[in-house]
Amino acid sequence: MEISKSITNESHELLISGRIDGAGANQLELETLAAMRAGAKTIYVNLSQATFLCSAGLRVLLQTWRQMKSSGKSFYVANPSPEVDAVLVMTGFREQMVEGARPPGLA
Amino acid sequence: MTAPLEFRLCNQLGELRRLGDEVQNFSAAHRLPPAVVQAFDLSLAEWVTNIISYGHADAEEHWIQVRLSMAGDLVQAEVMDDGRAFNPLTHPPVDTTAPLETRPIGGLGIHMMRKLMDGVEYRREGAKNIVTLTIQRAG
Repeated sequence: MEISKSITNESHELLISGRIDGAGANQLELETLAAMRAGAKTIYVNLSQATFLCSAGLRVLLQTWRQMKSSGKSFYVANPSPEVDAVLVMTGFREQMVEGARPPGLA
Repeated sequence: MTAPLEFRLCNQLGELRRLGDEVQNFSAAHRLPPAVVQAFDLSLAEWVTNIISYGHADAEEHWIQVRLSMAGDLVQAEVMDDGRAFNPLTHPPVDTTAPLETRPIGGLGIHMMRKLMDGVEYRREGAKNIVTLTIQRAG
């Protein structure tokens, strides 16, 4: 799994490529924590190139969503690939975390 | 009929990559449809992650044995570990309609495994958990 980051003002986007398995989830957690520490007001996790998402990855998304929301900030999952979208639908995350979330400049 | 694919994994999260590779190789060898591969891959990863993360009270090295096979049109995985007894079939269901604010953090992996597989069986033999996952090849 690879993570590339882009920062526009106080908006951080993490583009994830490959498999978000248990080890990948740990890596993702480190990056979301770093974005929060850096003062991100909005975090987008772009999953358009993620091919796999397990529950450990969902746990990181949920924890980050809660932490951002509790401090009045925003967190979105953006453009999930079909494989990842199926997982988000099956677990009830899609409706509350993805819909309507499209960071500027993303297709 | 092809021979089953058997391998063992150490109880470290880094082994999940190898598990994924083995599942992909097995699936390619049997020309499994992408939707079946995805479901099988995710379900196995969830169960093995569960063993690695919660199965053992000590910090010692433990081995997880995995056997992938075809039985007619059924794709089957048998996973054996020496962790604490845990039957995934007795795990309470997850309410996926609950708001994320109040959603419990755990349980989603087993929820997905049970939802994706056509069959999940559990038995305890001595000090071993043995879980068998099955899914129809046709998907």
